[in-house]
Amino acid sequence: MKLNILIGGKAGQGINKISEIVSSILNSYGYFTFNYRDYQSLISGGHNFNVLCVSDKRVGSTEGKFDITVALDDNTIFLHKSSLRKNGVIISYKKFEKDELGRNLNVALAGALIKVLGIDKEVLVDEIRRQFKNEESNKVSEKGYDSQDFRFNLEKLNNRIFKMNGSKGISQGAINSNIDLYLAYPMTPATGVMHELASNQIKNNLMVFQPENEIAVVNAGLGASFAGAKVMIGTSGGGYDLMTEGLSLQGQSEIPLVIYLCSRPGPATGVPTYTSQADLDIALRGGHGEFPRVVIAPGDPIECMEKTNEAFYLAEKFKTLSIVLSDKHLAESEFSYDNKPNKIISVRIKKKIPGKEIVKASSYECDKFGNTTESAEFTEKNANSRIEIYKRIKEEVKKFEMTKVYGKRNSKNLVIGWGSTKTAILDAIEGEDFKFLQVLYMKPLPDKIKKEIQKARKVILVEQNVTGQLGRLIREKTGIKIENRILKYDGRPFYCDDLKERLKKEVRG
Amino acid sequence: MKNLSTKNEITWCPGCPNFIILESVKKVLSKFKQKNLCMVTDIGCHGKIFDYLNISGIYGLHGRALPTALGITLGNPNLNVLVFMGDGGIYSEGIGHFVSAGRFNPNLTLIVHDNQSFSLTTGQPTPTSQQGYKSKALPLGEPDKPLNPIKLALASGISFIARCNARDENHTAKIIKKAIEHRGFSFVEIIQDCLVFNLEINNKDKLMYKIKDNKNKKTAERLAEEWDYNSKKGRIPLGVLYYEKKPTLADKWPQLKKLEKRGKGWINK
Repeated sequence: MKLNILIGGKAGQGINKISEIVSSILNSYGYFTFNYRDYQSLISGGHNFNVLCVSDKRVGSTEGKFDITVALDDNTIFLHKSSLRKNGVIISYKKFEKDELGRNLNVALAGALIKVLGIDKEVLVDEIRRQFKNEESNKVSEKGYDSQDFRFNLEKLNNRIFKMNGSKGISQGAINSNIDLYLAYPMTPATGVMHELASNQIKNNLMVFQPENEIAVVNAGLGASFAGAKVMIGTSGGGYDLMTEGLSLQGQSEIPLVIYLCSRPGPATGVPTYTSQADLDIALRGGHGEFPRVVIAPGDPIECMEKTNEAFYLAEKFKTLSIVLSDKHLAESEFSYDNKPNKIISVRIKKKIPGKEIVKASSYECDKFGNTTESAEFTEKNANSRIEIYKRIKEEVKKFEMTKVYGKRNSKNLVIGWGSTKTAILDAIEGEDFKFLQVLYMKPLPDKIKKEIQKARKVILVEQNVTGQLGRLIREKTGIKIENRILKYDGRPFYCDDLKERLKKEVRG
Repeated sequence: MKNLSTKNEITWCPGCPNFIILESVKKVLSKFKQKNLCMVTDIGCHGKIFDYLNISGIYGLHGRALPTALGITLGNPNLNVLVFMGDGGIYSEGIGHFVSAGRFNPNLTLIVHDNQSFSLTTGQPTPTSQQGYKSKALPLGEPDKPLNPIKLALASGISFIARCNARDENHTAKIIKKAIEHRGFSFVEIIQDCLVFNLEINNKDKLMYKIKDNKNKKTAERLAEEWDYNSKKGRIPLGVLYYEKKPTLADKWPQLKKLEKRGKGWINK
């Protein structure tokens, strides 16, 4: 059983609240939900929509065809007409036009949707009471409920479901690593983590600070880490570009630093509130000179938690740069799950700090006292030492899940993907003859990729960028060129039904 | 006397006022707990002081020493943080950080070695170079009038603003000590000659005079106007041009206040 519900309207009409109410009810009813947010870079007006996918099994994507449209304005009905299935249901704002509900229209429509799904009124009332604590909202939601007929019949299931988006996953991973400071300058879609960590900073005994720009962010991050704090900084592509000289300083000074890099489509300001995987290249290579780093790309919110924890562990242990790479789709979509994350790795600081002893770190090549040297001997020795550190990192990361394999284990059709495409690929290959290799570590790149490619007959690369950046990386490291590529770069995530067709076509073709 | 020196060969030009600034700084630092001192230096001739001082610190990126130091105070507000920058690094590349630090008011001391030119890169103009200054980069002469950093510091709300003469070792030491002891962002502008580049603006000692510590904003504005950094006319007041009591960064954030009470940084919180 799977339903796709489109909820659309103008910015400011509260479509997210509808998703929130309805998915909370469905989760407590034992259903898995996945909520995709499609919104523009504006605060009021325009056209925004969510697609809420409901399933009795795990789900991590939406389909291109909808079963229900919830419309807060005419535009929603008009724009998505062709995507509504035959016999699809439209729940329209028009039904409440005379009621003058104002800002409560969304609550009425949430009530209406719950009725259409065939869920008892009491469940709705409980949820509205929990969320609003006012009688007016309750009345409005009941009015909405009573305005519809039952169209589906969702029965209560016996699953225990949790809901999380990628931003919360990253934040929880940082808290699990005992983060002290999060520094960031506002930039969509990385800002979710800033808001999340800021909201409970006193309770969690950490601090969120917004310096004057991303250049200050990275340099202050290094300063704070040098003084003994556990630091993460966050940004998206443009801010990361500004930070890159600072990344290079990290490489020279060997002060631990974790960066959360959350992509959106570029170049430049690009399409700021949409999604993209085009920043893998800069994550791998940003910053002048040659120095070690770790780049990890989680594919769902639980992996965001686990991999952020690993990023902190590796940064502190090897005094290196750890980059956690995500994107808008993973950061802001709401995933649901019924499994628990892996055990937390304890992150301890074992470094010399000022205040306790004299310690020097430098942007110059330096001698054993931390003072500047331009000698050929130290220049070469320090470069070798950086390579040595990377070799040790390569050994250490073997204890973590660098790749994951899903689907039919003995299938000769291998799909390779990373990051936020993970859950759409999982939904697309469900029941089909595919094996899916998810790459989580981009640097160091796991050896397993080559082995899996060699075992397969057909290899298909799935990415959300124009040049197949993981494909190019694999080619660089293994010499293997992946010929079959499904690339999407319109800022929108894959619909799993479309992706399934495209994958099957690649196999046939 | 604590061992504040290192074994590194000093590579400033013979006679460079940086030698005197180093002595002034050592004189002051000997009065503080050595392990609790932390410096951040920028890139430029001044930055070499990093190698000559035996205290903790980061030799930062050009223009970025100030945010690096701000980060150190975020990591541990109990450290005594000194920032050494040149006029190029702070007034050109890093000017935005200067203005913002005035607002944040972190408890640290910024010492600017202002010789009105980029010297380590062989004499290009900085924002404080005088109009008409000819260099390899600007053979036709600097077309613009210089920035007055004291006026900018006042406009930025910096809570301690002072000016010194690099050649006056004792006075500079006295002012730096006051700057370190001031709670908040202290800015010490040191006027210094460059003996190799931009010679034309050197030797202004006869224009200089010392003032008493001033906390009147109007007086400070008048003092700032007395010399325009452009000519060898006018008078150059030295000393604490302005100071005021203002909440520091740590005063404004409960988390940092807690660390101050604790007497150490976040480490193993």
